[in-house]
Amino acid sequence: MGDLFSNLGLGFGVVFQFVQWAPAFLHGMSIPIPINILLCLIGALVGTLVGVLPGIGTIATVAMLLPITFGLPPVGALIMLAGIYYGAQYGGSTTSILVNIPGEASSVVTALDGFQMAKQGRAGPALAIAAIGSFFAGCVATVLIAVLGAPLTKLALAFGPAEYFSLMVLGLIFAVVLAKGSVLKAIAMIVFGLLLSMVGSDIETGAARMSFNVPELADGLGFATVAMGLFGFAEIIRNLDAGGEGDRDLVQEKVTGLMPTRKDMMDSAPAILRGTVLGSILGILPGGGAVIASFAAYTLEKKLSKDPSRFGRGAIEGVAAPESANNAAAQTSFIPLLTLGIPPNAVMALMVGAMTIHGIVPGPQVMQKQPELVWGMIASMWVGNLMLLIINLPLVGIWVRLLRVPYRLMFPSIVIFCCIGIYSVNNAPMDVVLAGIFGLLGYWLIKHDFEPAPLLLGMVLGPLMEENLRRALLISRGDATVFFTRPLSASLMAISAFLLVLALLPSLRKKRDEVFVESES
Amino acid sequence: MSDAPSHVPGESILPGWIKGPQDFFGGLALVAIALFALWASSDLQGMRGFSFGAGTAPRMFGVLLLVLGFAIMVVGAFTEGPKLAVYAWRGPLFVSLAILSFAVSIRPMGMIFSAMASFMIAALGTHETQWKETFIVGVCLTAGCALLFPYALGLPLQMLPAFLNR
Amino acid sequence: MNYLRRTLATAGLALASIAAMAGSGQAQDYPTRTITMIVPFAAGGPTDIIARIVTAEMAKTLGQSIIIENVVGAGGTTATTRAARANPDGYTLITGHMGTHAAAVPLYPKLAYHPEKDFEPVALLAGTPILILAKKDFPAKDLKEFVAYVKANTDKMNMAHAGIGSVSYSSCELLSSVLEIKPTGVPFNGTGPAMNALVGGQVDYMCDQIVNAVPQINGGTIKAYAVATPERNPSLPDLPTTIEAGLPKYQVSAWNAIFAPKGTPPAIVAKLNAAAAKALDDENVRKRLLDLGSDIPKADGRTQAALAALVKSEVEKWSAVLKPAM
Repeated sequence: MGDLFSNLGLGFGVVFQFVQWAPAFLHGMSIPIPINILLCLIGALVGTLVGVLPGIGTIATVAMLLPITFGLPPVGALIMLAGIYYGAQYGGSTTSILVNIPGEASSVVTALDGFQMAKQGRAGPALAIAAIGSFFAGCVATVLIAVLGAPLTKLALAFGPAEYFSLMVLGLIFAVVLAKGSVLKAIAMIVFGLLLSMVGSDIETGAARMSFNVPELADGLGFATVAMGLFGFAEIIRNLDAGGEGDRDLVQEKVTGLMPTRKDMMDSAPAILRGTVLGSILGILPGGGAVIASFAAYTLEKKLSKDPSRFGRGAIEGVAAPESANNAAAQTSFIPLLTLGIPPNAVMALMVGAMTIHGIVPGPQVMQKQPELVWGMIASMWVGNLMLLIINLPLVGIWVRLLRVPYRLMFPSIVIFCCIGIYSVNNAPMDVVLAGIFGLLGYWLIKHDFEPAPLLLGMVLGPLMEENLRRALLISRGDATVFFTRPLSASLMAISAFLLVLALLPSLRKKRDEVFVESES
Repeated sequence: MSDAPSHVPGESILPGWIKGPQDFFGGLALVAIALFALWASSDLQGMRGFSFGAGTAPRMFGVLLLVLGFAIMVVGAFTEGPKLAVYAWRGPLFVSLAILSFAVSIRPMGMIFSAMASFMIAALGTHETQWKETFIVGVCLTAGCALLFPYALGLPLQMLPAFLNR
Repeated sequence: MNYLRRTLATAGLALASIAAMAGSGQAQDYPTRTITMIVPFAAGGPTDIIARIVTAEMAKTLGQSIIIENVVGAGGTTATTRAARANPDGYTLITGHMGTHAAAVPLYPKLAYHPEKDFEPVALLAGTPILILAKKDFPAKDLKEFVAYVKANTDKMNMAHAGIGSVSYSSCELLSSVLEIKPTGVPFNGTGPAMNALVGGQVDYMCDQIVNAVPQINGGTIKAYAVATPERNPSLPDLPTTIEAGLPKYQVSAWNAIFAPKGTPPAIVAKLNAAAAKALDDENVRKRLLDLGSDIPKADGRTQAALAALVKSEVEKWSAVLKPAM
């Protein structure tokens, strides 16, 4: 414990470092400047700014802003990057809630209830609870990293391809549970998503699959492109349908309080707590852990709720839980990087890039060799979360006011921002066209009462599932029993089976009731 | 300039035995998509001994979607369900056109031109648009983007048409 | 769609070249505006970092800023295709590497460019040597034992690589061809996950660039048997070369070099080559590159002719080793 405090002390010492600024006009006097705090603040602000642009998700934001940190000292650069990361992530949630455009996979779930809340005039409380939940989760996860970082690393290493495959199966089951309508249609959407995820080059042979010689399809469909189409553009097109006007005016008149009420807080508190725990654990797993965390948290809340039918119709827990979970996961996903020097996901890989350009290549010894860097970063995560709360609570008012802009002006603006956003990620005009095509597809899905969220999750999990299945089978030389003989994998499979039964039971029961009803009549 | 739906599917056009047209046709389309995917991945290699080929997983999911789509069709045919929804043409058309025009013009014409053009095209998507107001907002938005992306975010987006740059 | 794009691009280009003729920007004033350097990989990767370090110094010499544009996709070939079709005016350059300008030729039969025919070689920058790595409990003390063990247990061996088209894939294939074995290749999405599997002991061995491996070797989480360059590397002075350790045929380094689209005026290319050479002599640049474990080419390796020869020999070398991805 003593170690912990001295370590955290070291970290906060780094974060609260002051630099003496002695400009000429002060004639020899100098002003102390908390340089790292300032960098963290700028990072969080810029990250939020870019993150709220629809079409630009977390990875794209960090990748775009990475070069601006190259000119800074290493610790400052990393602290600023951490700020950008949290800012971008929070920015992504903001667009999910306000305009139903998830910036990344983990905020797809936030959009489900967040956007419904916004439609009911409760965007303010939704945004605020997301910020509060994230902050709480961030605090817990910071302490967790400091205390349990090293032992938790073992978990990350124990996860081989077989375990990942089982985890992805579990993830798909979550995706079924989260659907609000017909289970059959939800499963069909997941499979549709899985099928879409097959587009691109095959990992093992490099063969082009269903890419029709379009170079932009050679690496598969981008998440942002599809999400933007299915959620963003489709929502706009649907809103333009005749008869939509009444709906929209209603939203603008209904805007009630900006902050969550006491009841909102009471409802969200346990959800935030559970989301934090789930997120912290799943976040450690490289590759997909954080995505699964957010919808595992949502599924858990829906299952525990006394009235599951509220979910998908603006339940505040449906925002609080996944937002806390994805922030906790975002934080704990640093663990493998800090203890092993191995980047667990694309954002972390960019962080490693940032370190490398400063001549620091993180490895298993980074904690011993660069304690001020590691602990400075851990402390800066907490500060970053605090900054987000400070930046975002006042911004809630501004965001909500944006909703009052007449829709006839709002929608062309969203279209333009989405186009620029998608284009700027890869500088590829084809991506913009693809997003448009998915917009039409999304419109069609809405008309046939298919939900886009399971589709998107299927698309995200598809490649992870297929690749790990194939890796596992390659390593085991085709022996499929590995999924049930390795203890971790077997337990994940057991949980999946249990959840599947749980998910199917209500619909089976309903079917039975229907049968009875029909036979009676 | 009224926003008339392109077609109003009445019960009369559809065979009477389809009780839930929305699901029936939804399922039908999924079946079509699945068949298309199966065709598109037919040239890929299948299983090679114990290891998956490039085509194994796409075919697996394709068949699964085929089955599910068919199941949805059957359910749609035999259980009472909602009618086909009414599609509007104006919104989808102009929003798609705006997106397409942006994609086509961004490289040769630069961001300022293409953003402004797409904004105006998208605005055609609703009859509520008031042109003076839309034009002013469009100009402000384009100017804002022209400042935001290259200066505040340092993105190397080309602003002006390519031929002015050379 | 592709056709439409190409037509439009051609139309744009035509307009652009008319404008260029009218403006007549000449080589002696070059550069008069910002130069775009395409990096065909994500920001933060080895090629990106090397490109950034060197171009920052080149920009000082040339007196114009150089913007890095990261364009990812299809093992870097998407970006390289774009660079090949760019206006050859010296304002669009690309930092290619062993993959995009050599290994891609056999790997992608439908490649829309040819490294020799569609590019002017500008300057070789720096290479990152390849190491032979294994999990930490791999039962071999040195490279000789490793070779013997891998040959004896080929059927049981799992060799990790970072995906078709990656440097580690090509290097691994070269090793297999030198050793005349066919281990099971386990593909990962990038070096990070592959390294994770090696540290976790889920796979047996891999070949990867020195940048990613040094801290893991020093930390004792993985083993290294040899470095595949003629000389030892300063960041791992105790690690023998493949020549010393008895596998002289295994020579591979992930070289990075600047290319310009074919048709770029020779005077401009020469100017860029001189700027790159000057950057490689800069004390600070050298230090940062050496920190990464990279080799910096000596004076005779920095000429355009040397780069052209390198590309030619590399294309031949990889064409013999790699089979096309379908």
